[in-house]
Amino acid sequence: MNPSGNLSRTGAGAAMPPAPTPALAIAPRRSPQMLLLLAPVLLLIVVIFDYPLLKTAYWSILDEDTGRLTTAHFAEFWQSQAYLRVIWRTLRVALTVTVVTVLMGYPLAYWATRLGPGWRMVVLGLVVMTFWVSILVRTYAWIVVLGSSGLANRSLIGLGLTDKPVQFLYNEFGVIVGMVNVLLPFLVLPLHAAMMRIDPRLSQVAQTMGAKPLRTFWQVFFPLSVSALVTSAILVFILALGFYITPAILGGGKVPLVANMMDLLINRVANWNMAAVVSVVLLAMTLSLYALYQRLRDGPR
Amino acid sequence: MKLWLPLYGTLVLLFLCLPVLIVAPMSFSSAQSLEFPPPGLSLRWYAEIFANPVWLEAGRNSLILATVSSTIALVCGTTAAYALVRGQFTGRSVIEANIIAPMIVPSIITAVALYISFARAGILGTFGGLILGHTVLSVPYVVLVMQSAIRSFDPQIEQVAATLGASRWQVLTKITLPNILPSALATWIFSFVLSFDEVVITIFISGTHLTIPKRMFAELALQVNPTITAVATLLIACNLVALAAMVLVSRRRGGMAGLVQA
Repeated sequence: MNPSGNLSRTGAGAAMPPAPTPALAIAPRRSPQMLLLLAPVLLLIVVIFDYPLLKTAYWSILDEDTGRLTTAHFAEFWQSQAYLRVIWRTLRVALTVTVVTVLMGYPLAYWATRLGPGWRMVVLGLVVMTFWVSILVRTYAWIVVLGSSGLANRSLIGLGLTDKPVQFLYNEFGVIVGMVNVLLPFLVLPLHAAMMRIDPRLSQVAQTMGAKPLRTFWQVFFPLSVSALVTSAILVFILALGFYITPAILGGGKVPLVANMMDLLINRVANWNMAAVVSVVLLAMTLSLYALYQRLRDGPR
Repeated sequence: MKLWLPLYGTLVLLFLCLPVLIVAPMSFSSAQSLEFPPPGLSLRWYAEIFANPVWLEAGRNSLILATVSSTIALVCGTTAAYALVRGQFTGRSVIEANIIAPMIVPSIITAVALYISFARAGILGTFGGLILGHTVLSVPYVVLVMQSAIRSFDPQIEQVAATLGASRWQVLTKITLPNILPSALATWIFSFVLSFDEVVITIFISGTHLTIPKRMFAELALQVNPTITAVATLLIACNLVALAAMVLVSRRRGGMAGLVQA
């Protein structure tokens, strides 16, 4: 899922556990044939991924008129209120989305661990199912629910709580609802898997020793799950930073995030240099957070 | 604690499933407006899609694009996974990291990068360029899953076959491939869905070529019309059929657990 819109599934794989290192009993082969097998993928990645990214980095420091290198585009970026405002909004929205996702996702993941195997399969099955529904569809549904004549507003009016429709859409609220909905599975699934690895006997021992359930949870279970919670939350934050589709549809152009700004710079005003600068900035943020994610995930437990 | 946890959990689950629960019934609505619950039932919006040449063309493009890109990704990715597991290379960690990179880099960045480089190379807006873009997105998933599938398959079986006189080709076609086939099928389905739902890169590099998600995105930006609800429901159905097929295929053999259960 790539949440960056395509995050729909771009992120899907990032939630996978690290692949185990190979333990080969037999000496691996070092033959030209093996390199030949690797060649098609390497060619594809280098030509269709590495080179375009490098080209983009080059455009961020290229002076088109003289053909020389320049830092003028970066300077323009740092001095412009407009660009920095969008970056700031993206960080704020991504942080809010992450916090809400944690507050909703942690109890759901924990609840699933306490269910019997049958019900647990049902709950996880539903989570996986939503994960598989196109991000476009999940975003679209919120127009129907939150629109001015949508389900939520007609219920509110019907209950007499308000006499004119509440504006849920085309503001940060709508964007955040949509993003949380898309990103929840990315938190719940890895977090639940980590919770299942916590030895249930630890909580049992605490209760045998006289701890109340609430105290057992906060002093035994929660501290053991907190590292998985932090890594999953970082993942959600990374994915939220690159979101394109949800802010475009539910923000109605009023809540542009970084990705929407990049779209504008390429497809509307054709300012490649600036689009390249923003790409480099977003890439730097993403990769440094990803490095942090990996370090926390693989570090000493 | 005992009561509020199930209650809260159920509410979160409801929030998660709400889009599907709303969109599917609405697509059978007889009303022009987006009323929920629908005032009456009809299949008019489905009839409208299948009578509309634009949606049909978008559907055909999406199918071709997803089929071709996931097949290329599967073939390239599986051979690479085999080489990475069984071979020995200097700098393998760099190679592996590079292959995984398109999965980590936000797709909006890849989209901008492909736009700039494709435009300079003169292949912006070509169907071939679009296929290459989608293939690059799928390859990391294929390599990851197939690596774990090949790893879980004991190399000694290959060795024994070779000792007993099988040629390399025989080992590959009679021993290795049949053993990794279920994972390969499941991965192919995953890549297919990934490409079929892709929006961001498609919007940037597809030029005038339409795909279903691209057309849907464009319609949503303009106005909300019930035809979209029917398209969305068809997409949900296709994705769930694909998910079921993937679970069925991979149940016979492990290795896909990573994608289904993250």
